[in-house]
Amino acid sequence: MRRVLPFAVGAALLLLLPLAAIEPRAWLTLTVAGLAMGMLIFLVASGLTLIFGLMDVLNFAHGALFSWGAYAGFTVAVAINGRWGWAASPSIWLNAGLLMLAVAAAVAVAFTLGVVLERVIVRPVYGQHLFQILITLGATIVLEELIRIAWGPNDQVMPVPVTFRGSWDVADVVILRFPVIAIALGVSVYAGMWWLLHRTRVGLIVRAGVENNEMVQVMGHDIRRYFTAVFAAGSGLAGVGGLMWGMFSQSVRPSMGGEQLIFAFIVVIIGGLGSVTGSLVGALLVGLSYNYVAYLVPKAAIGVTMAIMVLVLLVRPTGLYGTGK
Amino acid sequence: MSAPAGLSPVQAAREAARRERWREPTVGLRLVLLLAWALLPLTAPSFQTLDLALKIALFATLAASFDVVIGYTGIVSFGHAMFFGFGAYAVALAVGKLGAPTYGHVLLGFLVGMAVSATVAIVIGAFSLRVKALFFAMITLAFAEFALILAVQWSALTGGEDGLSPKLPGVFAAGASGPFGLSGRLVTYYTVLAVCLGCFLMMRRFVHSPLGRTLQAIRDNELRAEALGYRTFVFQLVASSFGSVVATVLGGCYTLWVRYVNPESALGIPIMLDVLLMVIIGGIGTLYGGIVGAAVLLTARTLLPNLRGLGATMFSGSEILQRLSERWLLYFGILFILVVFFFPRGVLGTLREVAARRRRGAAPEG
Repeated sequence: MRRVLPFAVGAALLLLLPLAAIEPRAWLTLTVAGLAMGMLIFLVASGLTLIFGLMDVLNFAHGALFSWGAYAGFTVAVAINGRWGWAASPSIWLNAGLLMLAVAAAVAVAFTLGVVLERVIVRPVYGQHLFQILITLGATIVLEELIRIAWGPNDQVMPVPVTFRGSWDVADVVILRFPVIAIALGVSVYAGMWWLLHRTRVGLIVRAGVENNEMVQVMGHDIRRYFTAVFAAGSGLAGVGGLMWGMFSQSVRPSMGGEQLIFAFIVVIIGGLGSVTGSLVGALLVGLSYNYVAYLVPKAAIGVTMAIMVLVLLVRPTGLYGTGK
Repeated sequence: MSAPAGLSPVQAAREAARRERWREPTVGLRLVLLLAWALLPLTAPSFQTLDLALKIALFATLAASFDVVIGYTGIVSFGHAMFFGFGAYAVALAVGKLGAPTYGHVLLGFLVGMAVSATVAIVIGAFSLRVKALFFAMITLAFAEFALILAVQWSALTGGEDGLSPKLPGVFAAGASGPFGLSGRLVTYYTVLAVCLGCFLMMRRFVHSPLGRTLQAIRDNELRAEALGYRTFVFQLVASSFGSVVATVLGGCYTLWVRYVNPESALGIPIMLDVLLMVIIGGIGTLYGGIVGAAVLLTARTLLPNLRGLGATMFSGSEILQRLSERWLLYFGILFILVVFFFPRGVLGTLREVAARRRRGAAPEG
């Protein structure tokens, strides 16, 4: 609990600080957008950080899995909408059903790809950092090109269910609907991960593996199976992140994963490699500050995330929650 | 062979290498290669061939400078193309934005570019080399992305997506004629070639120097090098800055030759991927591997558009098949994975290994 207090104070300050320069209503809109963006980045970054923490693999193919998730969900959404018109229907249930099915497709495809990648490409190069980076980079090229071949190289419009489009007006404050969904999803994923990691046996073994994977093997657990599972789960999260991002920006394009991967990297560095909570804090930090700065000084938006990263590294080289492993 | 008294093992090894220098089996090959580059313009080739030859030289040297960082020092950096871009933009800006272009402006561009690169490399290294080695890859990638966005956004200075096409001074200008009846194009060709050669020799000297040996020791076992009393951080910083500055010089040369810079051709992640591919295909930690890698990649890229036309006529019925033949980057990606898996030492590294094994076979140790 000692750790929670400074975080809470810092978060409150960060949230309130921009009020000095931004009028309250715009601030609220920006905060919601920032939290949503942060949550979406968190989905990508949490998988990345778990894979790194447990397996010591820096997965550059994470961005490509993000894109694949987005395209898988996009295909399902287009197909369902084309046949039954669920996205255009005013029924909340049909809208939610469409979103659920798209998410399920994104997870399924990214998860499967994750298993294949881990088994075929990553497994032979455990322990060799340079080759891990190279080989996952190669996988990124191949996966992105396959998207261009299968779906074409251009941007495409993502069908977003009517219920989640537009905004609510709450006492003159414009609150976009989709970001609220994204925030809810992000919170539930974080809660789910926290529960899985801290309250279940599987989580215990994974955490122990992050700490000292040789010892876990000595205790008789087949750590390689956990490796595959964690890699695939991380990939699945990237897939969900991709789909949600596609809905958020209402479009999909082949290179979307690469762009988000940079954000995810920055978030993982800020939060500390291997820490899920660190990823959440880092992602919210990046999402919020990006939106505030983009409102105040549009051109400096990318720079501010870099500045945060540099600052954090100068103060804590292992990241906010890093263990210095 | 026992080391003479008074020489440290390292000194003895260097003495041995010096004696062997002109007896190395590939020394003739290297000279022939150099001669081919020097004599190519005399055969009056098409501009496309000349352009390809010089770009191979330029990118081979760039790949070698990346190899100094990744292969000899073991630092995985994704910011190398950024330093190349710094050089390209520095020269283009100095020539294009400071009034009538003179040779002084070109020189100024090179110097400013090198200074900026050295500073940025040191700053990035100072706070990211201290932490886990893997961080460096991510941080440099983030910086490269940042530089790219900066170049696109700051269009008042950099011309945004359109880039810059500065008017170059004297013999470098379009349609200029040089001394001895040579065309300005040829003078530029030889100038750039000479710079590439100079850079290459300098890097060769660098990696074979005591400093270079220390770097290899750090690459192979950082803890051990540290335990032996080397300040590994300083050595890594020097190596990454050196590689970056060489890349900057080459970037400037690129502007002189192409007379055009834009974010995509000088700064982007694709350039970085190209250079990485060249190093991996040629052989990591071989320096000369860059020549093989650059030759393979650039030749393939020049010839592939013709193949694309072929694909369009052959598979005119199916869109998917057409796309399959268009996306040649896919095949590079697959090739890349296969090379990393089966020839982790690349073309040159594998050849050297085979040669070394044969030599050992011919003279069995006893």
